[in-house]
Amino acid sequence: MATYLLEVGTEELPASFVAEALAQWQDRIPPSLQEQNLYYSHIAVYGTPRRLAVVVEGLPAQQPDQVQEIKGPAVASAYSQGEPTKALLGFLRSKGLQLSDLYTQTTDKGEFVFAKQKISGKATREILPPLAASWILKLEGKRLMRWGNRELKFPRPIRWLVSLWDEEVLPLQLEDITADRITYGHRVLSKGAIVLSHAKDYTEALRENGVLVDGQERERQIVGQMQQLADLMGATVESPPELLAEVVNLVEFPTAIVGEFDPAFLQLPPQVITTEMIAHQRYFPLWDRQQPNRLLPFFITISNGDPSKSKLIAQGNGRVIRARLADGKFFYDTDRQVPLETYVPQLKKVTFQEQLGSVGEKVERLRRIVQLVFAAIPNVEPMREITDRAAYLCKADLVTQMVKEFPELQGIMGADYALHSGEHPLVAQAIREHYQPRGANDELPQSLPGQVLAIADRLDTLVGIFGLGIIPTGSSDPFALRRAAQGIVQICWHYGLQLNLPQVLKDTIGVYTNLPKGASEIYQNLLQWFQQRCETLLQEKIDYDLVDAVLGVGDPDYTEWSLSNLAEVKGRAEFLQRSRRNQTLHSIYAVVNRASRLAQQGDIPTNAKSLESLVKVDKLQEEAEIKLYQALHQLPPKPQNYEELVTAIAQVAPQLANFFDEVLVMVDDPAIRANRLGLLGYIRNYSRQLADFNAIRSV
Amino acid sequence: MDFQSVILTLQNYWSDRGCLIAQPYDMEKGAGTMNPHTFLRAIGPAPWCVAYVEPCRRPTDGRYGENPNRLQHYYQFQVLLKPSPDDVLEQYLQSLKVLGIDPADHDIRFVEDDWESPTLGAWGVGWEVWLDGMEVTQFTYFQQAGGIDCRPVSVEITYGLERLAMYLQGVNSIFDIVWRGDVTYGQVHHRNEVEQSYYNFGNKGQNNQRLFQLFQEYEAEAQEQIKAELPLPAFDYVLKCSHTFNLLDARGVISVTERTRYIARIRNLARQVAKLYLESSSTG
Repeated sequence: MATYLLEVGTEELPASFVAEALAQWQDRIPPSLQEQNLYYSHIAVYGTPRRLAVVVEGLPAQQPDQVQEIKGPAVASAYSQGEPTKALLGFLRSKGLQLSDLYTQTTDKGEFVFAKQKISGKATREILPPLAASWILKLEGKRLMRWGNRELKFPRPIRWLVSLWDEEVLPLQLEDITADRITYGHRVLSKGAIVLSHAKDYTEALRENGVLVDGQERERQIVGQMQQLADLMGATVESPPELLAEVVNLVEFPTAIVGEFDPAFLQLPPQVITTEMIAHQRYFPLWDRQQPNRLLPFFITISNGDPSKSKLIAQGNGRVIRARLADGKFFYDTDRQVPLETYVPQLKKVTFQEQLGSVGEKVERLRRIVQLVFAAIPNVEPMREITDRAAYLCKADLVTQMVKEFPELQGIMGADYALHSGEHPLVAQAIREHYQPRGANDELPQSLPGQVLAIADRLDTLVGIFGLGIIPTGSSDPFALRRAAQGIVQICWHYGLQLNLPQVLKDTIGVYTNLPKGASEIYQNLLQWFQQRCETLLQEKIDYDLVDAVLGVGDPDYTEWSLSNLAEVKGRAEFLQRSRRNQTLHSIYAVVNRASRLAQQGDIPTNAKSLESLVKVDKLQEEAEIKLYQALHQLPPKPQNYEELVTAIAQVAPQLANFFDEVLVMVDDPAIRANRLGLLGYIRNYSRQLADFNAIRSV
Repeated sequence: MDFQSVILTLQNYWSDRGCLIAQPYDMEKGAGTMNPHTFLRAIGPAPWCVAYVEPCRRPTDGRYGENPNRLQHYYQFQVLLKPSPDDVLEQYLQSLKVLGIDPADHDIRFVEDDWESPTLGAWGVGWEVWLDGMEVTQFTYFQQAGGIDCRPVSVEITYGLERLAMYLQGVNSIFDIVWRGDVTYGQVHHRNEVEQSYYNFGNKGQNNQRLFQLFQEYEAEAQEQIKAELPLPAFDYVLKCSHTFNLLDARGVISVTERTRYIARIRNLARQVAKLYLESSSTG
């Protein structure tokens, strides 16, 4: 059993590529060895900014031998009077076989001559080099480059290759770069070229030369060192997972170092400081453990330098953050010299979308849309003035210097500047919150003006872009319309906002003038878009058929009705799921479902809500239908909640069952038939306050 | 080390490594890359090694001399090596050492930073070099210039001279950098920063219309020289276009949509110049 080491030495690779490359190798190398019938005991992939490596242990010296069955000529043409024919002799010669190797076997085409031939496995050391070359050359990265005079392409220049089979160099060549047993350690912690005598020495030899080749080990080191430093300072480390993942692949030998800056900069909003640290410097911010909202004037940087030089390195980093914060302070002070509202007119120069005009025009629309949103939510007390003011100011920070420099601070700066300009705190809060949720797991706006403005902003974008006929497909969603619609739904669900979506969509379409697509096309497409978003969100917790039953798949009228109270969509879905679980759905499912299907066949309109409009008392003939009518008459027309609705239906269920047993619905007399269908239609329509029972599969 | 010693040290260092020490090009430009010593020489097969100081103008970075870290006019030290040598990173690290920054004492990082110039139709792959967290150099392997594949590939090293000098002198404001003796960078350039900022942002009623006209005139001039098959004079007017566009951009009078179109107009000229330059050098 032997060990194979492949190392690709490079100039500094992008951190994201190191992670991607190792994942690709992890996926591809095992099957590529298996295809060659090469089995091993262990495989490990390693990567740092300057190298990608794989170590395969327990490889056999050669592939296992294989026995192959070869088919020769038909027996009839192989022998003539017991003697081998020319055809058979030719076959033997070409395969290097003897007469004694042969046997005959019957196939569906007759009797044939066969032989078993042993194929000796090739030496592993011959198989590996071309495989290794393909592992390297098949790596995919977002941007490949050439260097020098070569044709070769890789994310950064390849400077050396190591290809070692235990103690032996296996030949491997990429253009003029030839594999050897020489690798290089850390740029400053290593003494120079490292000659590897054995493939197994790899990780230890590099450790001695200041390189931890295993990313997981570096991550453990970083996390542990940061924790130690934080403990010493009574601090909590803010460690976003993406930042940690990146930093792991920016260093070969991590040392966590604390740097500091002038506490005077803490006057800046903490997000300005942490954005500078995280996005620009890859520093980890430190927060006060006692007062969790208090940022400390310290940070942690993960150095790749010599640990003994940490003091000097900390000083350098401290100066950099000071310069950056001074820059930020300059923007902050300049921006605050005038009230936030003075920036609003400049929004006319900022394009929202080429065909949809400027952000200034968007703001004008938003002021109208927030009022429409309030009008479409019956269960809240509108806060019209605050929200109008917030709508007017919500994009003003886009033209401030700070947000031009740090676009990710949009909303956050607007809120800060609004407060400084003496705006109402709720206006400021709404400005900050209207971008939320920024993603699937982000916080939602807490204030009502923030919620309404968030909804309005997304409605405006959705209507505008759909109005241009740009409907996202598959992974292409450049305006993040999926997220926009989902955000509206999440806000309404979380806060129980009974938004009448169809109404507000129609009204918002009316706010736009000159959209290339017609109003009804935009409306239909958007309704479907929202239905799909609700579906996706519901399917996380609700059975598929119940989701369909709540949203009315294939029944546009029901969908429209369903979405006319967005909060209840979720309420109804969760109620159905509970009812299915505790069996209460069972008590009404069968009869209601049957009534629904019959009513469907009878063309009973789904919008008829009163019993009187569907059933004429003087046409009731049989006792069972009279009893059903009386029972239906007792149903509370507007049940307080879904429990009451289900209990009420459960109470008429026996009469309904009896009706199905005793009464023939499809009689010849059209008036009687219509009357009986009307009874069923009423049940169906009544139950549709909860769900479209036609869509429910079984209980 | 004073400011001019930084320049002299780098010149000597790269001169010793076989570079031609060239002089700045006499036209406004946003980066040393736009000097024909880099932009045009990166095209075509002929080897080329050059180093020079380049004054750069970025009108939108004007801060009226009030920001200690930002200038609308500053200096780059530019090195172009073609084809890119295999030990270029080691050569670079050695150059820091001669400046008095021993890499062994610091945290030096090569952080992914690919470069793209939409106006020049050029892109490359490389890093920004961080010295204890401070960006001091841009490193780029040119892959395309003027829409033409660079074969062989050149490597461009761009030192931020002010950043390096601030670091070496331990000062917190650009204007406090000692240029030589008792003359500071502020004495040399502060007034220019103030006046040019007013001009760049058009705060004194500057005539934007004239700038728009100039852009058109420069564009026409470039086009005519392309027709006359004179890529070098044509390139001068591409630079003029680029700088005029940058001024208009700083004035905030170009909308996002128009901006894309202006960039496309300049790129179109740059591509034609690059193509013409390559063709005429291979035949001539």
